[in-house]
Amino acid sequence: MSAEEDRRQEIPGRRRGLFSSRRLILGIVVAVVVYAFAWQITEIDLKKLVTGAPDMVHIVKQLLQPDLLTRDKEYQRAYADFQVPCGTASPQQPAASESEPYLVLSYLCGEPGQPLGVEGFNFRPDTKGILRWIPPVGTRRSLKRIDADSEGHFAVGIAIPDVPASEELQEIEVELKWDVGLPYPSDTTKIVLSKMVQTIMLAMMATTVGVFLAVPLSFLAARNLMSKYRSTMIVYFLIRGVFNIVRSIEPYIWAIIFAVWVGIGPFAGVLALGMHSIAALGKLYSEQVESIDPGPIEAIQATGANALQTIVYAVVPQIVPPYIAFTIYRWDINVRMSTVIGFVGGGGIGFILIQWVNLLQYKKAGVAVWAIVIVVWTMDVVSSWVREKVV
Amino acid sequence: MLEIQNLTKIYDGGTVALRNVSMKVKDGEFLVIIGLSGSGKSTLLRCINRLIEPTEGRIIWDGVDVTQLSGEELRKTRRHIGMIFQQFNLVRRSSVLTNVLSGRLGYVSPWRSAVGRFPKKDVEKAMGALRQVGILDQAYKRADELSGGQQQRVGIARALMQDPTLILADEPVASLDPATSHSILRYLEELNREKGVTVLCSLHFLSLARAYATRILALKDGEVVFEGSPAEIDDARFKEIYGEDAIQVEIR
Ligand SMILES: Nc1ncnc2c1ncn2[C@@H]1O[C@H](COP(=O)(O)OP(=O)(O)OP(=O)(O)O)[C@@H](O)[C@H]1O
Ligand SMILES: [Mg+2]
Repeated sequence: MSAEEDRRQEIPGRRRGLFSSRRLILGIVVAVVVYAFAWQITEIDLKKLVTGAPDMVHIVKQLLQPDLLTRDKEYQRAYADFQVPCGTASPQQPAASESEPYLVLSYLCGEPGQPLGVEGFNFRPDTKGILRWIPPVGTRRSLKRIDADSEGHFAVGIAIPDVPASEELQEIEVELKWDVGLPYPSDTTKIVLSKMVQTIMLAMMATTVGVFLAVPLSFLAARNLMSKYRSTMIVYFLIRGVFNIVRSIEPYIWAIIFAVWVGIGPFAGVLALGMHSIAALGKLYSEQVESIDPGPIEAIQATGANALQTIVYAVVPQIVPPYIAFTIYRWDINVRMSTVIGFVGGGGIGFILIQWVNLLQYKKAGVAVWAIVIVVWTMDVVSSWVREKVV
Repeated sequence: MLEIQNLTKIYDGGTVALRNVSMKVKDGEFLVIIGLSGSGKSTLLRCINRLIEPTEGRIIWDGVDVTQLSGEELRKTRRHIGMIFQQFNLVRRSSVLTNVLSGRLGYVSPWRSAVGRFPKKDVEKAMGALRQVGILDQAYKRADELSGGQQQRVGIARALMQDPTLILADEPVASLDPATSHSILRYLEELNREKGVTVLCSLHFLSLARAYATRILALKDGEVVFEGSPAEIDDARFKEIYGEDAIQVEIR
C-alpha cells in the first residue's frame, strides 16, 4: 500500500470517529437536557394559548372598535314610585298622558324578590334605554335593558331588588338614550392627535440632532480622509468605536437612561433617538464618503477649478443625494421608534398608549394603535417615494 | 511646445513609476503613448497637469515650468489643458450639460459657479460643444443614463469647453467597442488637424496607435524604450515593447 492510499484509508476512519455512535448519543442527551431546561425556564405553557384566547379575542374586538368618533346624546326619562315593603305611604300610579312618556306598574308595593311588571307608553319609538332602580338611600342599580317598539311602548318584567326596607318611596327610572347630530372626534381622538403631533415632532428633532452632528463627524470617520497621518487615524478609530458602541445600545435603553437624566417625557425621547441617530447616520454617511469616486474630482481639478468649485461640482453631487436618502430613511425609523419610545418614558403617543393599556381602556388604546399604523405606513410610503426621487 | 526633462515619479509605497523620462512634443503633434499595463502611461500624463506631483524633473510647456507653479498660476495653466479619461470621470448624478459646463470652471467667477450659475455665452458654448460631438439631444439627461461612447463624448465636450491647446487622453477608448473607439479617436484627430490642438494620448492597441499617431512613444517599466514614427515599429520593436510572448491584435 502506497502512502497516498494509506492516507485515503485513514481520513474516512477519522471521520467516523467524529460521528461515532457514542458521541452522537451523548450529543443528543445533552441537547435534550438543554432544551428541557430551556422549556422550563422560559415557562412555556401551550395550554395558555387556548385558555387565554377568549381574553385575547375580547381585547382585539375592543381594539377594533376604537373610540374614534362620538355623537351628542339626547335623553328621555320617566319615573314611577314604589314602596318596599308595603306601608303607610301609599305610592300612586304615574298619571297617564296623551303626549308625555309615562310608566305603569303591575302593583305599587311589595317585598324584595317578587316579580314586578313595568310597562311604558308614549316613549320615543324604536329607541333603546335602561331601567334603573333608585332607592331612597344607597346606590342606584341598572336592572334591565329597554327596547321601545315602533309605537313607543314596552313591557318588561323585573324582580324587586334586594333593597333595605324603608318608609320612603323607591323610584323606578326609565331612560332612553339616542344619538343626535353628526359624529365628531371624541376626546380620545383629540388626545391621540395632539400626542401624534408630539411624536412626529419628536422624531423630527431627533433626526435633526442626528444630522447636524453626524455630518461633520462622518468626515472624521471616513478612512480615506483620515488615513494620512497617525493622529488622524486615532481620531478615526475613536469616532468609529464610539459610533459602534452607541449604535449597539438600543434606543429603548437610551430612553431609560435619559428618562432618569432629564425626566420622563418627550425630551428624553428626543435625546434617546437623537443619540442613536448620530451613530447610525454617522456610520452610513462616512461609508458614503469612503465610497466617493475620485475620478470626477480629478477631472474637475484638471479643468483648472479651485477647491471650492471642486467640492461643489465633484464632491457634493456624489454625497448629497445619498445623505438625503439616508436622512429620510432615518426619519422613517425615528417616527417608527418614537411611537413606542414612550413605553419606556420617552414621551409621545407611546406614553399615553401604555397608560390606556394598563387601565384596560382598549377602545381608547385602539385609537392610538390605529393612529400609529397610519402614520408609520404613510411615512414608509413617503420616504421610499422621496428616496427614489433623490438618488 | 512641451518639453519633459528627466522626469521621475516614485510613489509613496516606493514604486518607481517613471524613471528619468525626457521627451519633446511639438505643437500640433498627435503623440500616442503605448506600453504594457503598469508601464507608467497614466502617471506620465497626470504629471503634465500636476494631478500627480512629479518626484524629480521639469515639465516645460510654452516656456513655463509647470512643476514650479502653484495655486492660481497652476489653475490658469490647467485650464488650457483638456483631459480625457478611460473611465470618463463624469459626475454621474449631474446632468450632461452641467458636466460639460464644468469644463469652464477655470474661467468663470468661482462664487457664481459655486451656486451653479454660468454666463449665458458659456451655456451656448456648451450646447455648441455637445452639437459638435453629436449628442445635443442628451443635454438634460443624467450623465449615468448615457452609454459608454456617449459618456466619452461628454468627456470630450467638457475638454472642448476649456479651449485647450493641449489634450491629455488617458486610454480614452479602452472601455469602448472598436467602432465607437474609432469615432471617439476621430474627434481627437479632427481637433488635432483642424484646430491644431496638441494631443497626448495613451492607447492599448498598437493598431489604433498606428492609425492616429503622428508619432509614437513607448514606455516600459517607467522608461522610454521607443520614440519615432508609427512605421518604425516592426516585429522586433514590438517584442521589445510588449515582451517576447505578445502577439499583435488588430483593431479596425
Ligand atoms: N497612486 C499610486 N500609488 C502607488 N503606486 C501607484 C499609484 N498609481 C500607480 N502606481 C504604480 O505605478 C506604476 C505605473 O502605473 P500607471 O498607472 O502609470 O501605469 P499605466 O501604464 O497607466 O497602466 P495601465 O495601462 O494599467 O493603466 C504601476 O506599477 C502602479 O502599480
Ligand atoms: Mg493607466
